[in-house]
Amino acid sequence: MNALAAGFTFEVRLLRRSFDEMMVLVTAPLMTLIFLSITEHAGRTDLAPYAVLAPALIALWTIALFTSGEIIERERQNGSLEPLVATPVAIGGVITGQILAVTLLSLVGFAESWLAAWAVFGIVVPIVHPTAFAAALVATAFAMAGTASVMSSVFVLSRSVRAYQNSLSYPFFVLGGVMVPVALLPEWIEPLSRVVFLSWSADVLRDSLTPEPVTSLVARLGVILALGATGFLVGLVLLRRAVDRLRRTGTIGFA
Amino acid sequence: MPRHLLAPLRIIRYSAANAWADMWVMFTPASWTFGYLSRLLTQVIFFALIGVLLDSPDLVRFLFIGNAVVFMAFEAFISVATTTWERRQGTLPLLVAAPLPLWPVFVGRSVQWLPTGLLSSSAALFVLGPVFGVTWRLPQAFAVFGALVVIGASMYCMALVFGALVLAATEMRNVVYNVATTVMMMICGVMVPLTFWPHWVGAVANAVPLTHGLAAIRTLAESPAVGPVAREVVTDLMVALGIGAVWLIAAAVLLERLAGLGRRSGSIDFAA
Amino acid sequence: MRMAEDAVEVRRLRRVFRGRRKSPGVAALDSVDLVIPAGEVHGLLGPNGAGKTTLCKILATVLLPTSGHASVGGHDVVRETAAVRRIIGIVFGGERGLYTRLTARQNLEFWAAMYGLRGRTLRLRVDAMLSQIGLTERADDRVEGFSRGMKQRLHLARGLIGDPQVVLLDEPTTGMDPVAAREFRTLVGELRDDGRTVLLTTHDMAEAEAVCDRVTLIDNGRLLATERPAALSSWISTYSRVDARDVPAERVPQLICELRDIPGVAGVRAIQPSGIRVETDVADAAPQVIRHLLDSGINSVATSTPDLEEVYLHIIGERGLRVSR
Repeated sequence: MNALAAGFTFEVRLLRRSFDEMMVLVTAPLMTLIFLSITEHAGRTDLAPYAVLAPALIALWTIALFTSGEIIERERQNGSLEPLVATPVAIGGVITGQILAVTLLSLVGFAESWLAAWAVFGIVVPIVHPTAFAAALVATAFAMAGTASVMSSVFVLSRSVRAYQNSLSYPFFVLGGVMVPVALLPEWIEPLSRVVFLSWSADVLRDSLTPEPVTSLVARLGVILALGATGFLVGLVLLRRAVDRLRRTGTIGFA
Repeated sequence: MPRHLLAPLRIIRYSAANAWADMWVMFTPASWTFGYLSRLLTQVIFFALIGVLLDSPDLVRFLFIGNAVVFMAFEAFISVATTTWERRQGTLPLLVAAPLPLWPVFVGRSVQWLPTGLLSSSAALFVLGPVFGVTWRLPQAFAVFGALVVIGASMYCMALVFGALVLAATEMRNVVYNVATTVMMMICGVMVPLTFWPHWVGAVANAVPLTHGLAAIRTLAESPAVGPVAREVVTDLMVALGIGAVWLIAAAVLLERLAGLGRRSGSIDFAA
Repeated sequence: MRMAEDAVEVRRLRRVFRGRRKSPGVAALDSVDLVIPAGEVHGLLGPNGAGKTTLCKILATVLLPTSGHASVGGHDVVRETAAVRRIIGIVFGGERGLYTRLTARQNLEFWAAMYGLRGRTLRLRVDAMLSQIGLTERADDRVEGFSRGMKQRLHLARGLIGDPQVVLLDEPTTGMDPVAAREFRTLVGELRDDGRTVLLTTHDMAEAEAVCDRVTLIDNGRLLATERPAALSSWISTYSRVDARDVPAERVPQLICELRDIPGVAGVRAIQPSGIRVETDVADAAPQVIRHLLDSGINSVATSTPDLEEVYLHIIGERGLRVSR
């Protein structure tokens, strides 16, 4: 617990001084305007919730990919990875705390999206089912952090995977049904989509913004949480592998 | 060829060779194809699919073309970031101290992104096109390719101005690139026609060569034969080139000014 | 605070680093035996690449041994990793490892938390540490603005923040100016007074001599000998070099003969453009050489202490120690 808190506090302090990492939060409201312009131009004000959610989820994932995903690599380059390994507190806890801080901060993207919609288009997207929305948001953040922990470990274990870091964004936005729901995509994509927590999150969040009651809320939240937990598990296993490798060979990654 | 024109061209050529070498340090053919290119193609797919959500095949085609073409502009704008490499590598003072003007170096420094941009946009338009209901006859395809070249060249000139501005504050290079490209996506007719936005936004968009180049390509896409629309297309492309030329002159002036300012204030250092 | 066991025990420790291809690899440490009793300040002296950092990393549990055994405070570094980590503190040399965008205090608070401290105890310890290294005034300034010496001190604080019983200092004075280096020696003395065990690695003989209770020499992954510091200072005075410059060309051969006759002179030769170099191998022979030169009217005379490599050559030769198996 100490490790989590320490990592969290540390990361919050660091992020305050590193504007660069949160640059996605500068372009996020612009993306909201882009999505809204498409839906408004087509006269589909009913799709405003879609247009407001998509950029928020995109921001969440992008920040995870480029900030959370680089946490361990950052420690390595800073020369503080080995000293961290040498401390009695579990390194997995610290890294997780840091990832949680980044993830929570990236939720600001949601607020920005709503604000941009109101400021430029005068559209206020009502949160029809606030409890469902809040619960879905929390579950989504948890799942994002879990996925980020996988990213963080993988990127430090394998330089060649890291070369593809840039291309791990839009494919997941398509698979995740971030703007266009999975139901509208070709059938063969569905199995792939359902493994990506974004697809469940996007659906539940969208449902909580529409008048109809949200179906199977608990079950769907359960899936999101389960996917997130799997992410954490895999991430921590990979982190242990990375540290083991560091101790055995003196370097942490494969080429 | 007149002497004072030869020297800059030669400089551009060498600078470009430097740039090409730099690029292959960052990418291998494999990582470019499966990393970079695949991400671009998925981005096009992502936006084109919104037309499916809105149940409009026309919109699918509109979004597809806009997003495929805009990559040419994105690639040209990467030069905003790479221009700063001269400063960050510490070669800037050496260049300033050299007898020949500075601007040809910067013109050539980032051209490696142009052929790759051409490749990406073409791959998107011609390979993915049929999937989204956009097909091309050969004459159309050639014309489109030419239009892409025009867009690339003219947007590159615009990017040089931004690159010059960013030289003074290199830590802003990523923000400038991201904001500029996102705004481009928003207002230049990529996602919605210019008429959607207020008048003043349209005016700003018209100062961006992409807007005109994209309009030309959309015209070509609508008409199966090139002949009838040739005049309209050529006009749009000429406008794009003209605007690009204005940006280029602005860039050259700005760069020389900055070099002069830097010499006076002592801000040109060996490492940023 | 004294431990019953030996603070550090190393037996037949071996660490091999594999090369890229199927090459046999490099033995950074080759069958090392070392015992450091609790409360001792032990120096590990050797040139770059000798294996000092590798040994520190193994003791810090950051690196696994290839074979052999190492324990800290009675706990095996491989099997009882957590126990070892609770009682050691490690300071790697160099500038990396600090979070430059954070303040000194924030850095220390983070590392204090990494050693299990929290709440009031954490804050008090950080304050005390800052005071001990003399950074209290700059505590809330960002590290990126710190001088080299200040960063070095902060490194030290970071290594000590967990109140370790065994402190590993890996070339801690690299890049320090002489004043800072002297202050550092005082600090090591304070550590000894606290009852802590210190392993200090260095390539500077003078430093090892000034600070350590005993010094072990290491080269190419092998321990050569363990000595009292006095031995080091005797080497320094034994193996000296005297350089004479601006010697008139016609006098050089005569002077060389005369110098060779002085007892304790190991070798004399002419060096370009107009100098003579004398090497001694007996303690206090250098002053005699200098006197002879001055008496002969040569005023441009300089002495230098031998560097580590030269000393190694001498003692290896003298003791017939084999360098490779």
